[in-house]
Amino acid sequence: MEGSKLKHFATSPIGRKVFTGVTGLGLTLFALAHMAGNLLYFSSDPNAYNKYGHKLAELGILLYIIEIGLVAFFVYHIFLGISIYLGKRKARPQNYEKYASAGKPSRQTLASRSMIITGLILFAFLILHILSFKYGPSVSDGYVVTVDGEEIRDLKRLMDEKFSTPLYAFGYPAVMILLAVHLRHGIWSAFQSLGATNPRLSPIIYTAGGIVAILLAIGFLVLPLSIYFSGGAA
Amino acid sequence: MTINVRVWRQDGPEDRGRFENHVVTDANPHMSFLELLDVMNEQLIGEGKEPIEFDHDCREGICGSCGVVINGTAHGPKQRTASCQLHMRDYSDGDTIVVEPWRASALPVIKDLVVDRTAFDRIMGAGGYVSVATGGAPDANALPVPKEDVDAAFDYATCIGCGACVAACPNSSASLFTGAKIAHLSLLPQGEAERTRRVVAMVDQMAEEGFGDCSNHAECEAVCPKGISISAIARMRREYVKAMVVGDS
Amino acid sequence: MILDSKTPDGPLEDKWDIYKNSVKLVNPANKRKFTVLVVGSGLAGGSAAATLAELGYNVKCFCIQDSPRRAHSIAAQGGINAAKNYPNDGDTVWRLFYDTIKGGDYRSRESNVYRLAQVSNNIIDQAVAQGVPFAREYGGLLTNRSFGGAQVSRTFYARGQTGQQLLLGAYQAMSRQIDAGKIEMLTRQEMLDLVVVNGHAKGIITRNLVTGEIERHHGDAVLLCTGGYGNVYYLSTNAKNSNVTAAWRCHKRGAYFANPCYTQIHPTCIPVSGDYQSKLTLMSESLRNDGRVWVPTDNTDARSPETIPEDARDYYLERRYPSFGNLVPRDVASRAAKAVCDQGRGVGETHRAVYLDFADAIKRLGRDAISERYGNLFEMYERITGENPYKVPMRIYPAVHYTMGGLWVDYELQSTVPGLFVLGEANFSDHGANRLGASALMQGLADGYFVIPYTLGGYLAGIDAGSVSGEEEEFAAAASSAHAKTQELLNINGSRTVTEFHRELGKIVWDGIGMARNADGLKSAIGSIQNLKQEFWQDLRVPGTAETMNKNLEFAGRVADFFELGELMARDALDREESCGGHFREEYQTKEGEALRKDDEYGYVAAWEYKGDPADAVLHKEQIEFENVQPSTRSYK
Repeated sequence: MEGSKLKHFATSPIGRKVFTGVTGLGLTLFALAHMAGNLLYFSSDPNAYNKYGHKLAELGILLYIIEIGLVAFFVYHIFLGISIYLGKRKARPQNYEKYASAGKPSRQTLASRSMIITGLILFAFLILHILSFKYGPSVSDGYVVTVDGEEIRDLKRLMDEKFSTPLYAFGYPAVMILLAVHLRHGIWSAFQSLGATNPRLSPIIYTAGGIVAILLAIGFLVLPLSIYFSGGAA
Repeated sequence: MTINVRVWRQDGPEDRGRFENHVVTDANPHMSFLELLDVMNEQLIGEGKEPIEFDHDCREGICGSCGVVINGTAHGPKQRTASCQLHMRDYSDGDTIVVEPWRASALPVIKDLVVDRTAFDRIMGAGGYVSVATGGAPDANALPVPKEDVDAAFDYATCIGCGACVAACPNSSASLFTGAKIAHLSLLPQGEAERTRRVVAMVDQMAEEGFGDCSNHAECEAVCPKGISISAIARMRREYVKAMVVGDS
Repeated sequence: MILDSKTPDGPLEDKWDIYKNSVKLVNPANKRKFTVLVVGSGLAGGSAAATLAELGYNVKCFCIQDSPRRAHSIAAQGGINAAKNYPNDGDTVWRLFYDTIKGGDYRSRESNVYRLAQVSNNIIDQAVAQGVPFAREYGGLLTNRSFGGAQVSRTFYARGQTGQQLLLGAYQAMSRQIDAGKIEMLTRQEMLDLVVVNGHAKGIITRNLVTGEIERHHGDAVLLCTGGYGNVYYLSTNAKNSNVTAAWRCHKRGAYFANPCYTQIHPTCIPVSGDYQSKLTLMSESLRNDGRVWVPTDNTDARSPETIPEDARDYYLERRYPSFGNLVPRDVASRAAKAVCDQGRGVGETHRAVYLDFADAIKRLGRDAISERYGNLFEMYERITGENPYKVPMRIYPAVHYTMGGLWVDYELQSTVPGLFVLGEANFSDHGANRLGASALMQGLADGYFVIPYTLGGYLAGIDAGSVSGEEEEFAAAASSAHAKTQELLNINGSRTVTEFHRELGKIVWDGIGMARNADGLKSAIGSIQNLKQEFWQDLRVPGTAETMNKNLEFAGRVADFFELGELMARDALDREESCGGHFREEYQTKEGEALRKDDEYGYVAAWEYKGDPADAVLHKEQIEFENVQPSTRSYK
């Protein structure tokens, strides 16, 4: 696609949703991978989690590329979300005094109506999360563990400390529930935006989207809660 | 039965508008909803007031003229039912019904419950047709079309252009309206030659009219008097992506 | 004035070709110099506007709705006839022609009807090319059904929404031309007058229904495609906004009104439920294929229908017409229902209904089979009445459905005002005294797609393009009279609403000029209409002003014209001392109670010239010549 055409596509109502869907699904995959990584915390090898963190760090330039890609996905996803929201505000300057969904087959839910809110909260959370962990205390601050003769960052300790405080232990799961709410509509919506036309498939995608959203949230929130309730001795 | 009607009143496009409350004491369960408005209007004229303006014509759910938001739902609580086909037996004595016009900046209010839907005509003008001038058509049976295709096309072609999809959409998107025509024509061989140009032109016009983007709430399908599936929207997106990536517009 | 039908000479089969071969053509480069005003955007107007724009003419199209897609053609359910003979069951152009002439009870012009049958096939080709999703077989080819008692399967259909799909086809063709700038589409505009300059129709006066402004529009010819006048009855299956105003105002400017008394009553409609009723809903005639029509034998029988035993039921159609039974034609079935209700045996709260019972069919074929055939109709019935027709018999009653009468036109569809052409239901031309099922869509599209492009060209080739500017005195006079008339309605400031008057007028017309007419009833109807009209002009109350959207004001203008039309209908019915098609005079029936036609005395088209008061209207007769078919008498015994 040449430039002007790409711009045409990207700024069209279809393009905006296609890119929202593509970036959204990409971010969902990232979240799934992240969650899988987190679950290494529960591995029988007490260093599994730190080893995994170290491996990622060792990717070097590749990690930067992935990170830049992720940032791009996030930024574009958020930009599109906000622009769709603003467009919607403009398209209905005056609201109904009374509004009620007609019910099934409508997919309108609290989740679908609050994408912008859950999305913005997730964004704020993301910044705090990165500051807490990615740019949190590291080797130089004494968060070190020796594995196979190598000194690597002790992320596990950082996690145990953070999630021993009620704010983190309960704040994170709360946000993860919001993530599930966001994805409850988001995953299904992405498939619609990408042109899943088969009406028989649609309910399956909708259900599957919900299941993935819930599993993802559970996968994320077991960690902080278990650390908090087990006193970080897992 | 007695019905309380809380109805939107707006003198003209520039007027800010307001709600008015009226009581219809001689409503009848066999009446249609529009007949309730008729009775209310007769009452208003009797009281020396101006009646509420609302669009209506065939009163059998096919012309697409009527359409108001009834207690928060476009065309009221019964699915696959236009406002004119809704009957008062679905309400109880003493109920209050809030009646509002479609609300979308692309469908501005003309007066009271009447809105301007010419945006739909412009979307159709952008490409909602097969370019075939009268007279040059080949024999109707020269081109077989699989029954499954034509049945599917028909489901999309039943759109009555009432605007309920826009009215009910939290984003005021016209995607179901636009998608229905694109889906109809994209399923038939007659529409093949122009399919790339059509989808791009219609979607662009839709955006230009100031409708919101579709966020896949699927509320449109639930309020559509013809029950047109949101698969029309997915089909429109596929057509659009194909046109942009493969086609030559 | 001698009514010249301008039918070309030559054998019936060749007339249209002969015409096309000899009609004058407009040079392609000159077409854009002509502006054609098309009033109405239904099947006739929409197809004409699109086709003329494609040819290169400038078209201005007007409709009262907010979009051309909403014209009442959209409500037609059943189908469209064509002599394609795809099923190979023996259909020909001749047979379609013959059935239409016979169905019209030998009161239509052979040449027009033959042309209609000839171009019917082109319509199907055109619609399919536009993407109209007609029903198909699994092999991908089009399928047909038999309709309205025809002996061949020649009806093409798109589920129960054939009118909608055909109209959208025409609308889409129009949309293309609107986008290309060849059609200027003016929606929410009501035609209030025809402007005639030097004897030729050159413009129209409209009221902008949003701003209330009176507008002048000029052109080189006017096409009136404004549908029928069934709403004179107040209750009909027509859309609420369907009206006679545009046609009537043309009538007042010199266009003769032909056969106004020919109105069609459809036997299977959902009955009236109360005074608030605003319109009637038709249900497909196909229901009579399996439903049995009956009323209780005893008019005091108040039992619930399913508990009434067989011997207390009168299956009156089966009794009176043993060979056709429940499948007798529309007019026969309608009159029979009226007869039993007049005897006091009608059912339901209002006693103006008869039962249409599916109990036997369900017993015989099973509920599933019935549901497959009529499921959508049963659903519609239940939605409107709240009763489940699988359990209790439907209640049905006849309702006004279509008007065969209309402005008189010649073979070229030109009225008695040169430059004013009338298409579709608005003209009188093709259906005689009774229209066959699935023929209305055919006629509207035939006129618009395939007739007018030729005949209008012939007219335009003989005149100078752009000869008026809209500044002529005639325009100013017509505009100020339209303005004055609108103001007059507002100034009455009486006590009764337009709906009250319309409802009362409708009752007079229905009782006096409805399914069965007689001289006394017609005379009394004329008197009642005159009185009510007088009261209307003294006691009407139209709220609001003329400078804004004011639907009551629109309706008031239309009802004012319905008064005059209603009276003319009665006078026409009174003049026609015979029974034919939709016009049944009780004095003229056979011993068995069937219609008695009198071809020798009344084998003419009654074209009325406006002279001010309807009482002074002058009758002109166009004798109908039968060169190719011999009138026979219908029998359904």
